[in-house]
Amino acid sequence: MTSALHTDPAPAPAPEASPDTVLRVRDLTVSFGGRGRSVTAVRGLSLDLARGEVLGLVGESGSGKSTVGLAAMGLHDAARTTVGGSVTVGGTEVVGAPDSAVRALRGARIAMVFQDALAALSPFHSVLEQLAEAYRLHHRAAGRAEARERARAMLDRVGIPAARARDYPHQFSGGMRQRVMIAIALVNSPDVLIADEPTTALDARVQRQVLALLAELREESGTAVLLITHDVGVVAATCDRMLVMRGGEAVEQGPTEKLLHHATHPYTRALIGAAPTLDTVPGTRLPTVDDPEPAAGTGPVAVPEGAAGAGAGTAAARRPAAGPGSAGTAPGREAAAARAGRRGPLASGGGSAADPGSAGTAPGQAAVPGRRGPLTGGGGPVAEPAGAVLAEVADLHVSFGGRRSLLGRRAEPVRAVRGVSLRVGTGETLGLVGESGSGKSTTARVLAGLQRPTSGSVRFDGRDIARAAVDTRLRRALSRDVQLVFQDPYASLNPRRTVEESVTLPLRVHTDLDAAARRDRAVELLEQVGLSADQLGRYPHEFSGGQRQRVGIARALALRPRLIIADEPVSALDVSVQAQVLNLLMDLRDELGLSLLFVSHDLAVVRHFCDRVAVMRAGTVVESGPRDEVFDDPKAAYTRELLAAAL
Amino acid sequence: MTGYVLRRALQAAAVLLAITAAAFGLFYAAPSDPALIACGPKCDTGQVEAVRHSMGLDQPLATQYADYLRGLVAGRTISDVDGTPIDCAAPCLGYSYTLHQPVLDAIGDRFPVTLSLAGGALAVIVVLGVGVGFAAALRRGTATDRLLSGFTLVGASVQIYFLGYALQYLLVYTTDLFPVPGYAPFGDGPGAWAAGLLLPWLVLGFVNAAVFARLARSQMLETMHEGYVRTARGKGMSALHAHLKYTGRGAAAPLVQLLGLEAGALFGGAFITETVFGLGGVGKLAVDAVVQNDLPTVVGTVLLAAFFVVLFVALADLVVAWLDPRVRLA
Repeated sequence: MTSALHTDPAPAPAPEASPDTVLRVRDLTVSFGGRGRSVTAVRGLSLDLARGEVLGLVGESGSGKSTVGLAAMGLHDAARTTVGGSVTVGGTEVVGAPDSAVRALRGARIAMVFQDALAALSPFHSVLEQLAEAYRLHHRAAGRAEARERARAMLDRVGIPAARARDYPHQFSGGMRQRVMIAIALVNSPDVLIADEPTTALDARVQRQVLALLAELREESGTAVLLITHDVGVVAATCDRMLVMRGGEAVEQGPTEKLLHHATHPYTRALIGAAPTLDTVPGTRLPTVDDPEPAAGTGPVAVPEGAAGAGAGTAAARRPAAGPGSAGTAPGREAAAARAGRRGPLASGGGSAADPGSAGTAPGQAAVPGRRGPLTGGGGPVAEPAGAVLAEVADLHVSFGGRRSLLGRRAEPVRAVRGVSLRVGTGETLGLVGESGSGKSTTARVLAGLQRPTSGSVRFDGRDIARAAVDTRLRRALSRDVQLVFQDPYASLNPRRTVEESVTLPLRVHTDLDAAARRDRAVELLEQVGLSADQLGRYPHEFSGGQRQRVGIARALALRPRLIIADEPVSALDVSVQAQVLNLLMDLRDELGLSLLFVSHDLAVVRHFCDRVAVMRAGTVVESGPRDEVFDDPKAAYTRELLAAAL
Repeated sequence: MTGYVLRRALQAAAVLLAITAAAFGLFYAAPSDPALIACGPKCDTGQVEAVRHSMGLDQPLATQYADYLRGLVAGRTISDVDGTPIDCAAPCLGYSYTLHQPVLDAIGDRFPVTLSLAGGALAVIVVLGVGVGFAAALRRGTATDRLLSGFTLVGASVQIYFLGYALQYLLVYTTDLFPVPGYAPFGDGPGAWAAGLLLPWLVLGFVNAAVFARLARSQMLETMHEGYVRTARGKGMSALHAHLKYTGRGAAAPLVQLLGLEAGALFGGAFITETVFGLGGVGKLAVDAVVQNDLPTVVGTVLLAAFFVVLFVALADLVVAWLDPRVRLA
């Protein structure tokens, strides 16, 4: 993995109270809420950031990593937050300092870049105005003209053409907006830049560009960067050192290379190994962290080494011919280890930790023998993709808009999908991969019968379903066989329904099972997805994100559908939870012989999970084929570009 | 932009046309005979028929409606009860046989009162409502917030006819703190004009400001945590400055929309306030016309009120678009 953020050798970690330390955090404790109930988000965290250094602050959601960034800026709401310990920026204390003193630091000595640039930029002012304002706040003597001059120069530096300086944030692309955000943060040449998930919302290629820009600017100005992220890949590519946080505490810190290869803490290893990379052996079980919700004052997390035996072995062995090109895939750890030898640092934790969470599915599987029969018609684990076609679209076009308004001109329709042809075979998993706006979700919605195609044919099991979106009866019939798993497990479950109600709703609609039979089926389903029967009466808010996604999967399975369409089913989840859910989906697919359309922007996940892959760009399929063909020998330049950009 | 204004003007015209049609229908739906009312109680049947004919009420409905619309656009000549022609210039809203003057003149006589009352009350609404709402939001959870929120609750729940009479009694007749309410034309001196309207402004403003204050507070609280406010503070801006410049702007759109509706309603007349303070405005004219079955005046005042609502709602949309460049005028 090459280092994009710096070319110099990494500076050694700063010693205590070195004059070179630009940001010094000691025993930082942050808790929210007063009056009895308070939540401690950060507990006794200490770190040093030396001039020009890049420190990666890594953790999953709820680890407190963003809270550290805000505390360093002194941006917490004083009325609701208790901040203890010490944060000094270039020797000036932030914690407990009067607002005027901290204000002099903010934007001048320490600045911040946020994840969602669209939300973080004012929608009411042009980017030039916003940049000029940042300059003038710390250069009181400067006139408007001077500030604008300065702002234009900075915009130019981050690659925003002068002609667009007076445009508003919503007129820019995501990458451009983040460039503006970076320009605002760096216009006063601060000593410290806090970048909170600066590229998380961006497509991989844009992420590369933005990280490269950050690296250039950092080298020019010597600004130290605290990079807050959940993505170990980003850290590996950009940071000198990394600090892993969990449950508000530091788990481990040290040089990036050392932690990536020889982490001492099992949580660090699990975090590093949990996300599949382009070098992971496809279809293998992903290592997960044993307990998803760390208890307060977490001790070392037990991740039994070498316990991968049964799980990983069967997972890999179950699909001996998972796609024509992958015949060489050897099961088990040896293959993982063999490949690990010739791949990048990210893979060092790969393929070894067991997942007690999803191990709970094993008894469930055993308890429901013979399930595969009625569903797949006795088919083997994988049908030839070229064989029985379950669902297909041919020359699909979908356009939006273009309505004529009163006195208005006809707006140009947005052509989201332009001539896509795809097939999903029985028992096959087709990965639909592309950047945002590529039309992949629209294509999936057409296959789900939720979107009417503008033209082209859509068939499920030989039947024309193009009108399903406008024909209630057809849609209803289709939904018996085609079910969906959604991206956001928080939004896709009704908060006022118990898990039982959510899971059994499809049964109520489509079957005449009585309440007892529905409940039995719900119990069976929950056990299948690794939850337990006593959770039936609970509401979604009582579950973690990963558990909710399991509920969503159980609901999708309730009718024993023949095709499951999963649109970014793991991209809203933390990596360790993502690993659990991917493991679960692989188990279920194996056990039930499911056919899946798996939509994702994440190449590594698609490569890990799918038999065949179609790469979409701007509404067309630029390349499709068996997984190994597409990934090992990409034909389209765009595919190669995407692969090169993946961290 | 020009296209947008044109489209909005056409939409407004369509709305007003629909309202004239609905109001015009009143003539026939109402259980009263305009000819009989115009003629007076002493008329015999023959006289009423003569009046009916001279008023054009024996014409088909469509003809009468067309006449009315033509009068609105180009003016027309109306016959009085005795057949004398009355010239009614555009925009002719008809002739009131009760007031013995064209409806437009009747409205015109009273409109300065309504304009003065509504304008002052709107100023009070904006200053008090937005000010209280913002102050409460900035100090949310404190005693100040609770006090201000309680204050707005009083405003929202109290009735003008109670508050108006009570304050008049306490502040004018008992203690002499406020001048006697009444309308003196602005042209006769701004001092007397403002003095006479001070209490009505405050009462009408306070009661309507309550809704604003509550909306302003909740909008502020919602917007305060927007990313761009945090960014502004991250640049080194003080919290107050950031809230004034960014939170205020972000919270403004629904307030402007509501203000547009409110302004439209107030310019159409404020009957209760006018009655309480003895002001002869358009509101009182409208209610009197209803009571006296003076249908031309009823239709005229309804149309006027609708016109102001349509006008101010359209203006509010323009202001919102100006405040937020993301709003596409379409």
